[in-house]
Amino acid sequence: MEQQRLDVFQVIADPSRRQILYLLSKDSSTINALAENFDMSRPAVSKHIKVLSNAGFITIEDIGRERHCVLKQDGFKDLHKWLEYFDAFWANKLNKLGALINERNKSQKK
Amino acid sequence: MAKYIKHDFFYPTTPGVVWEYLTDPELMAQWLMKNDFKPIVGHEFQFRTNPHPDVNFDGTFYCKVLEVDPPKKLSYSWKFGSGDGVLHNSVVNWTLVEKEGGTELQLIHNGFEKEALFLPLFASMETGWLRNMNKIFELITAAADGTAKA
Repeated sequence: MEQQRLDVFQVIADPSRRQILYLLSKDSSTINALAENFDMSRPAVSKHIKVLSNAGFITIEDIGRERHCVLKQDGFKDLHKWLEYFDAFWANKLNKLGALINERNKSQKK
Repeated sequence: MAKYIKHDFFYPTTPGVVWEYLTDPELMAQWLMKNDFKPIVGHEFQFRTNPHPDVNFDGTFYCKVLEVDPPKKLSYSWKFGSGDGVLHNSVVNWTLVEKEGGTELQLIHNGFEKEALFLPLFASMETGWLRNMNKIFELITAAADGTAKA
């Protein structure tokens, strides 16, 4: 089933795959080292890694005999800040709009 | 793509009035930012505010009107960057629904590229985004079922 191309949501809906991404966000890692964090077999971990790689979340680099998984995180810190920033930004602006509309309602009732 | 930033606000006035605040440049400037918006599909405009070095922001949002359906729907592209020529894409979508005693205004700010949208979630689980992620999954699921609600 996993061989078919999954969409982004299917890819990250799996808790093991989220855990792998989380671990890789701290540091790149070999498949063997990643597998130590899970109860499942190494081939099962490899399968999840393949799914993540196909979906473009990570890259796999062969270094010597080991396969290293690296999170693709171009510009990622900036963007994380952006998303937090926009969330707060809009909440703030929309509250301001509410205040304007309340003022408008009050002045019309006079 | 997916819904990302979403806010629902209720305002005790008609959709027509809320629409004015969303589309009249002078009224927009009162609560949002200075701008040269026109409610015409294809019109390119900018919002200008102070630069925000913390997020590498040069102070300008580069926008283009995508949809105008008064007084129900409005959307525009929303590109931003640090001023080095690289712009991040996103889209701002407004939906107005008339309710008893007022208007429900929904903002969905989405269309961030995949990396922009998802990698931060995982890499920053420690800072509380996991909560948001669960919410997003609910929204996505609800939207897929056609039962999205505020």
